[in-house]
Amino acid sequence: MVKTKELVQIETEIHAIEKGNLACPGCQLNLAFKHSLAALNNNAIVVIPACCTSVIQGAGKGYGMHVPIFNTAFASAPPVASGIARKLKLENKDTQVIVWAGDGGTSDIGFASLSGAAERNEDILYIMYNNQGYQNTGNQKSGATPRGAKTTTTMTGKTSKSKNIARILLAQDVPYVATANAAYPQDLFDKISKAAKEFKGNFRYIEIYSPCPPGWNIDSRNIVKVGKLANETGIWPLWESINGEVTLSKVSRRYLEKTNRKDPFEFFKLQGRFSGVDNDLIQQFMEDVEFEWKWLKKYLK
Amino acid sequence: MLNISKADKVEIWTGNQAVAEAVILTKPEIVAAYPITPSTPIIQALSDAYEEGRIRGEFIAVESEHAAMSGAIGASVAGARTFTATASQGLLYMAEMVYWAGFGRLPMSMCLVNRALAPGWSIWVSHEDLYSMRDAGWIQLIAKNTQEAHDLMIHSFRLSEHHDVYMPSMVNIDGFVLSHVAAQVHPLSQKFVDDFLPPFEPMFTMDPDDPISFGALTLPNDYLDLRKDHINSMNNAKKIFTDYSNEFAELTGRYWGTLIETYGNQTGDVCIISMGSMSEEVEEVVDELNKRETMMFGSLRLRSFRPFPTEEIQKITNLFDTFIVLDRAYSLGSDSPLLTEIRNCFYKNRADKNIIGKVIGMGGADVNYKQIIDLVISIIKETD
Ligand SMILES: Cc1ncc(C[n+]2csc(CCOP(=O)(O)OP(=O)(O)O)c2C)c(N)n1
Ligand code: SF4
Ligand SMILES: [Mg+2]
Repeated sequence: MVKTKELVQIETEIHAIEKGNLACPGCQLNLAFKHSLAALNNNAIVVIPACCTSVIQGAGKGYGMHVPIFNTAFASAPPVASGIARKLKLENKDTQVIVWAGDGGTSDIGFASLSGAAERNEDILYIMYNNQGYQNTGNQKSGATPRGAKTTTTMTGKTSKSKNIARILLAQDVPYVATANAAYPQDLFDKISKAAKEFKGNFRYIEIYSPCPPGWNIDSRNIVKVGKLANETGIWPLWESINGEVTLSKVSRRYLEKTNRKDPFEFFKLQGRFSGVDNDLIQQFMEDVEFEWKWLKKYLK
Repeated sequence: MLNISKADKVEIWTGNQAVAEAVILTKPEIVAAYPITPSTPIIQALSDAYEEGRIRGEFIAVESEHAAMSGAIGASVAGARTFTATASQGLLYMAEMVYWAGFGRLPMSMCLVNRALAPGWSIWVSHEDLYSMRDAGWIQLIAKNTQEAHDLMIHSFRLSEHHDVYMPSMVNIDGFVLSHVAAQVHPLSQKFVDDFLPPFEPMFTMDPDDPISFGALTLPNDYLDLRKDHINSMNNAKKIFTDYSNEFAELTGRYWGTLIETYGNQTGDVCIISMGSMSEEVEEVVDELNKRETMMFGSLRLRSFRPFPTEEIQKITNLFDTFIVLDRAYSLGSDSPLLTEIRNCFYKNRADKNIIGKVIGMGGADVNYKQIIDLVISIIKETD
């Protein structure tokens, strides 16, 4: 794993995001973007569908990133990236083509185009930052919103289970699939580097857990803590699948053992989106978490 | 006259084949496409052309029309010459991205095989699909027969890629009537197309060494600048297309007209205005009626709906007494789209009332009553 010191040095040199962009204070997708672009050494073309990242780049002529970005319509990022990737292929260029999309753009409106690009095994690294709702439009539920979470369209807590896109893409035999978490930048850096270097030429998918202070109703001082707790409570396990071989990532390994996990109450109590939600729903949320672990255990060697 | 094809070579091609063969001669690097009747044979032929190595490049068999246009957009912004084909429901499904390519100023060409919109399911020709993308910032050309479809494809790419135009362009051919009926075609030669159509030189592209952000959050003044530039470029396309048409005629001996083509009497009693394959029928009608009737008939057909040949049509407003506009579509609650456009041209010549249009408030620009007052006063003064 990349050493923290090393990572800081790389990020200072590469300087993926300029100061003063338009993200909310504490925004985790912004950090995730910075870590990801550092891992790519800024040698990337990034395609971004409608989402918070369309906005935070800056408005008008003020532009705060150091990679070319093609902003595109909500459902269109994977095929746009396909067109770019095919052209780079004809020119034998090593530049990475990245889709950087939110959970709504990925699990809902862009789902067909994601699945299509994966099926064609386009040379794209697809990075989904999961802030578990349509945050750009003011926190409506998405397919990836977890059960129990309150959003402006699930006022008393979402009653259905979230879609697990990473698992869906495993069912499509995508050669590299991983989950990550903005609160674990070293792990994220390694996964992006690996996907970029070792699986170039293939479709790759990385999903980054990215807490959102206004949407999840969290004091931005606690935002990294919430990200860490998601791992430590076993709620968001980090894993990686290489050609169908699933492994738990180092930072999540000890939570395979349920007794090592922290009390989920620690996680819930910091987030307004779970406050006042019916206990039954919270119970079902925890059952959904268990379901994920059961699934993981089945695949772990 | 240049030897455009192998001496006396004649092919019997459907409109779809004629289009596909022309596109192959333009050597697109990337085609992203999705099947729909009656345009499917075009994309099949292109897929074959890549597979057989007739052209070098990539065929992206996408999962929807929305994705087909998205793929073409990615290819174009990466600097590739690119093409797609669709019809009817396919065009409507890709609509969001058709605008993205148009407003995004991304050169490319598309063949729209005109077909009616559902319900009820109809696979036959109609022009509702053509009109639905009227305001998408695309050039819209229309062929009257198979040969012209073949020839127009080359114009379409060249016009789209010209730096004073620089926007996508579509060639419309009537479903089945042209797309599936075999006719004689004199194919253009590779040499001719290589000379007539220079390589695509992108004005901007996605380069990590010189990063730009395309289409980010745009403030009202910038938005207006972008649209103004687009409007100017669309106007440039009028002259440039006219020049290309004349140049093409000189080189090949095939004169299709400019933005319009007239036939029969250039002045007289009745002028019939139309578009697409119907125009060839109208030419016969004009011959027949001129023989049979004492009145004098003429025909005018549009080869370009966007840009609209306003000046050309204004010129004929005083040359005939009656104008009959034939249209394969209707704007519900109004009139047929072609008719309203033609009346607009007539108004510009013959109105006894002032109707002045001003564009304000685009892209979020503030519009308040003071500005409107100033605008109204300045117009009154100008027109006094
Ligand atoms: C076709 C279309 N429908 C709706 C929208 C409005 N819209 C913009 S961003 C967005 C939500 C994005 O959610 P997600 O992908 O999760 O990204 P986030 O905003 O959370 O970063 C919506 C609904 C749009 N831009 N385009
Ligand atoms: S709404 Fe949430 S995800 Fe969007 S910029 Fe703000 S903190 Fe980031
Ligand atoms: Mg989201």
